Amino acid sequence: MKRLALRLFFVVALPLLLVAAWWFASAGSTDVYWPPLRTILTTFPDVWTGERLRDDVLPSLLRLLAGYTSAAVVGVALGTVIGSYRRVRAVCEPVLEFLRAVPPPVLVPVIMLFAGIGDTMKIAVIASGCVWPILLNTVEGVRAVDSVMSETARSYGITGAARLRHVVLRSASPQIFAGLRQALSIGIILMVISEMSASSNGLGFTIVQFQRTFAIPDMWTGILVLGLLGFLLSVVFQLVERRVLGWYHGLRASSRRS
Amino acid sequence: MHGLLSVSGLKKVYEGSGRRVEAVRDLTFTVDAGELVCLVGPSGCGKTTLLKCMAGLLTPTSGEVLLEGRPVSGPPPGMAVVFQEYGRSLFPWMRVGENVELPLKQKQLSRQRRRALVADALESVGLGDAAGAYPWQLSGGMQQRVAIARALAYEPDVLLMDEPFAAVDAQTRADLEDLVRGLWRDRGITILFVTHDIDEAVYLGERVLILSASPTVVQEQLKVDLPSERDQLHTRVDPRFAELRTRVYEQIQAAKRGVVPGA
Repeated sequence: MKRLALRLFFVVALPLLLVAAWWFASAGSTDVYWPPLRTILTTFPDVWTGERLRDDVLPSLLRLLAGYTSAAVVGVALGTVIGSYRRVRAVCEPVLEFLRAVPPPVLVPVIMLFAGIGDTMKIAVIASGCVWPILLNTVEGVRAVDSVMSETARSYGITGAARLRHVVLRSASPQIFAGLRQALSIGIILMVISEMSASSNGLGFTIVQFQRTFAIPDMWTGILVLGLLGFLLSVVFQLVERRVLGWYHGLRASSRRS
Repeated sequence: MHGLLSVSGLKKVYEGSGRRVEAVRDLTFTVDAGELVCLVGPSGCGKTTLLKCMAGLLTPTSGEVLLEGRPVSGPPPGMAVVFQEYGRSLFPWMRVGENVELPLKQKQLSRQRRRALVADALESVGLGDAAGAYPWQLSGGMQQRVAIARALAYEPDVLLMDEPFAAVDAQTRADLEDLVRGLWRDRGITILFVTHDIDEAVYLGERVLILSASPTVVQEQLKVDLPSERDQLHTRVDPRFAELRTRVYEQIQAAKRGVVPGA
């Protein structure tokens, strides 16, 4: 009980301190662009009503989900193929390095040309940015499958789909998850950016809209919502990771002990 | 006459980056059904290469390996391998029971049969209650027991063991040696046991094959005429044990001296 309380304290101490600092630093502010935190917080419930959550937050989240999921599927599938065959890797590597170096926001206007300005465009932008860390990490993870494990699998006739499912992907899963984690933050950024140009709803759109109409406290609440959303998604991600990679954390802990 | 496992004229040459390494030159021997044969040789003599060729994990440069008269061209279903590196051979994302069961799923055995085999194999290595643990929660010796259980459950005709106890401490090692002797006696399986430890080879084997230094040939075959009931306490002080041990040791020394540098 005492340990739990202590842990809770560690978790909330710094956020509370920062919020307090913000609160007091901005308390007497008369700057229009830098409203007191009190004002921002009182504006919050007025702005983020159920209707707004449904009309702006939900579409954003659905696009993020669609873009992220397709990036995960494509990234893991392609990464597995590229990681498994040396020849394929030799052919693909230079192209991958080039594509990875292109900053995804640059693709927004390009993708707009092909995919229009609808949801497809936004999903494509999110997916095209998220796919790289997933793909590259999967390649590395698949390449690094231990030779003894690989031979063990072969000698017991574990080949083809069973090998992929039980050995290769499981062995690469810590790396794949590292990629997924990076992709998640990229996805949130791209979700916002894709909605800032040519959009009629969504979180990014709403924030830009507030800024353009000089609803500055409202704009700040939007930024808070984004922060909270990012935090929430990372908590969900951690829960999933802890479940899937439980063995990995246990293995690491046990090899540290010995 | 062909034994259960026969190796004839086996040769393996590694070629790569301008270097040509002849790991195994010309190996011929047979293992009969129900035998426990130990392969012993100086370190670096190509024991692992030989074992991988027998297991169908490596293709020999020439010569062939026959299992029940059929040439081995890939990992044969009638063979199970226990590797030295238990930590890298068990899958850390699976529990002990799942590790033992996975190969059986590939054999498409029924769920009921799989369960029975897994429980029996774990029981016979003394880990009947560890099915739910992860391998990394167990000690090194226990992990190697799991690997042995996995091999047993697979019901192979031949069990190949590649220096399986080289990485465990001496006491655990003695226990595991007795476990292998016991399993061999109780189950009548055929075991080919590769080791660099002379005492271990004599203690375990019914027959010891002494390999030369690389490029490897069979230096000598030795029948171990110790009683089949062996135990760590008495067998190891048996005068006959000492004689055999000395004999193997001499042969290995001779094998080392026989190396022609740069050949």
